[in-house]
Amino acid sequence: MNKFKTTESFENHISKEKRSAKAKAFFINFLLSFYLFFSLFFSSSYLIYEKNILPSFFYFILLAFSFIFSLLWTSKNSSLGSMAIYKTNKFLKNRKELQSEFNLFSFSGIFISLVLILTILLGSILVDINLYLLFSSQGLSGAKRIFSALFQPNWNIISQVLSSMVDTIFIAFLATFIAIPIAFFFSFFAARNLMKNSLLGNSVYTVIRFISNFTRSVEPLVWAVIFSVWVGVGPFAGMLALAIHSVSSLIKLYSEQIESVGQGPLEAIESTGAHPVLVVWYAVVPQIILPYLSFTIYRWDINIRMATVIGLVGGGGIGTLLVQYQGLAQWNEVGTIVIVIASVVWLMDYLSAKLREAIY
Amino acid sequence: MSKTILEIKNLEKFYENGVHALKSVSFDVKQGEFLAVIGLSGSGKSTMLRCINGLVPSSSGEINFQGQDIISLKSKELRLARKSIGMIFQHFNLISRKSVLVNVLSGSLAKVSLFNGIFAKFSKKETDKAMSNLELVGLKDKAYIRADELSGGQQQRVAIARALMQDPEILLADEPVASLDPATSHSVMDHLAYINKELNKTVVCNLHFLSLVRKYATRVIALKDGKLVFEGSPLDIDEAWFKRIYGEQAREVGIE
Ligand SMILES: Nc1ncnc2c1ncn2[C@@H]1O[C@H](COP(=O)(O)OP(=O)(O)OP(=O)(O)O)[C@@H](O)[C@H]1O
Ligand SMILES: [Mg+2]
Repeated sequence: MNKFKTTESFENHISKEKRSAKAKAFFINFLLSFYLFFSLFFSSSYLIYEKNILPSFFYFILLAFSFIFSLLWTSKNSSLGSMAIYKTNKFLKNRKELQSEFNLFSFSGIFISLVLILTILLGSILVDINLYLLFSSQGLSGAKRIFSALFQPNWNIISQVLSSMVDTIFIAFLATFIAIPIAFFFSFFAARNLMKNSLLGNSVYTVIRFISNFTRSVEPLVWAVIFSVWVGVGPFAGMLALAIHSVSSLIKLYSEQIESVGQGPLEAIESTGAHPVLVVWYAVVPQIILPYLSFTIYRWDINIRMATVIGLVGGGGIGTLLVQYQGLAQWNEVGTIVIVIASVVWLMDYLSAKLREAIY
Repeated sequence: MSKTILEIKNLEKFYENGVHALKSVSFDVKQGEFLAVIGLSGSGKSTMLRCINGLVPSSSGEINFQGQDIISLKSKELRLARKSIGMIFQHFNLISRKSVLVNVLSGSLAKVSLFNGIFAKFSKKETDKAMSNLELVGLKDKAYIRADELSGGQQQRVAIARALMQDPEILLADEPVASLDPATSHSVMDHLAYINKELNKTVVCNLHFLSLVRKYATRVIALKDGKLVFEGSPLDIDEAWFKRIYGEQAREVGIE
């Protein structure tokens, strides 16, 4: 993309870039200062009165105050927001006059330390830490009961447990297998170095990245809940949940691999006048096949672990069995299942590590 | 005077981060000449070469080649134009996991269909040509070895054979010997000189060492901070010009 035709258009662009950087810096400063003031008053209120006594109009005062505060603060290049934005903007990071170094004993340094301390304080108030429950005699006897049962597994149900475990392994395997070709195909369109050269490429890149980031940020557990309503409770729902999550995770891993390939061969094949598909096929694919294999095995490994968890919410396999025995409070049977899961996960972990070692 | 094969007029290049890499550069390349491009690191030599075949899009100006302006070409037409422009690189840029032969054949990818390209089906004619180009650079016996098992000088010769597969009108070379030792450098440069003289291919070559320029080039241009500051015969670069191009502090070192 040739954006700048002349020196003036470039200088224009810089001043536009500066304005938008200021706005972003202000926004960050605003959020930070509101958070600081809010957590300061909120935790003081809890420490003194053991409850929240702040009236709702007080939040508006805080908002207004943070607004004014961050307006003033953003005018300095050493404010946290300015530093964060100026250091990461590719047009501005070379401009010495905008940069300032972070120092723990400056205003920003003290500000960020305060934020950290207040967050820990706020966190312990909200999580309701209660050491009494953890160490009371009632609590400890419950712990003793479950641990002793877990260590006395009931081996009579072993064949049932193993067959559920086999289900789980195949759920994981199938999900990985289905995800491979889909992720392989889309990973090329999600690689910045291949797509960012044209407007069309850029938009395809953005759309695919957005969709895959979204599906990835929804946990497989949630997908399992969705699919168990969609196709009914069972292994199929679990498999679909893992597959969709694997596709988006593999797209991310694969495309990052593509972004890190040597640009040299790419340029060389491109300069012969070859079709873009052949450029990728000759210059990119040979460089990524082995890492892809390694990522895929790793993903299968993750999927086995996830498949056990997914069973807890109706995804079939060993997790479902675990929930059943847990519901009946049959802790010896639960113990059997936990031991089987742990051994299989450990074994698969070991195998996948060995396989990946062998590939490199 | 032989005819002009490539004409560059007021070429400007701004990179996205605002670096003004080429400032109104104009010059002609004549049919059959060996044109060396010199200048300090960062003066814009690579950028200029990459603008010629559109690897890097130019910001403005004209690059006239075979009756069309490279800068205004759509991607499909640009690919067609690239077929006649071979390029070799400082780091050879071979596909390291593939055989030498496949690397050479990849130079004719513009001539095969997508299907044949993907399944690496090259005609007998192309394969024969690849072998004879390998013979030309003295590597016929290495055809089936993996490219990354060759030495640097050998890899660069494979890259030359790959570029020859395009039957290029013009060959661009971006510091082709900068990562090679002196003896190997001369062998690679000798191959380029052979291609220039015997096969009558025009060569535009970025070079670091003036001794190589004097030995191989028929004409020189020099870039400084993105501007063209010298154009003439290698013998015209005297002490004064040298200091003007490379700065007052510079001293010439040779490559034997
Ligand atoms: N992809 C890029 N993005 C931004 N700036 C670039 C890019 N490539 C080169 N530049 C800048 O453009 C200027 C010219 O670089 P170029 O690589 O063309 O110089 P060169 O003469 O080939 O140097 P060298 O001898 O080191 O190879 C430099 O300031 C460089 O930092
Ligand atoms: Mg260079």
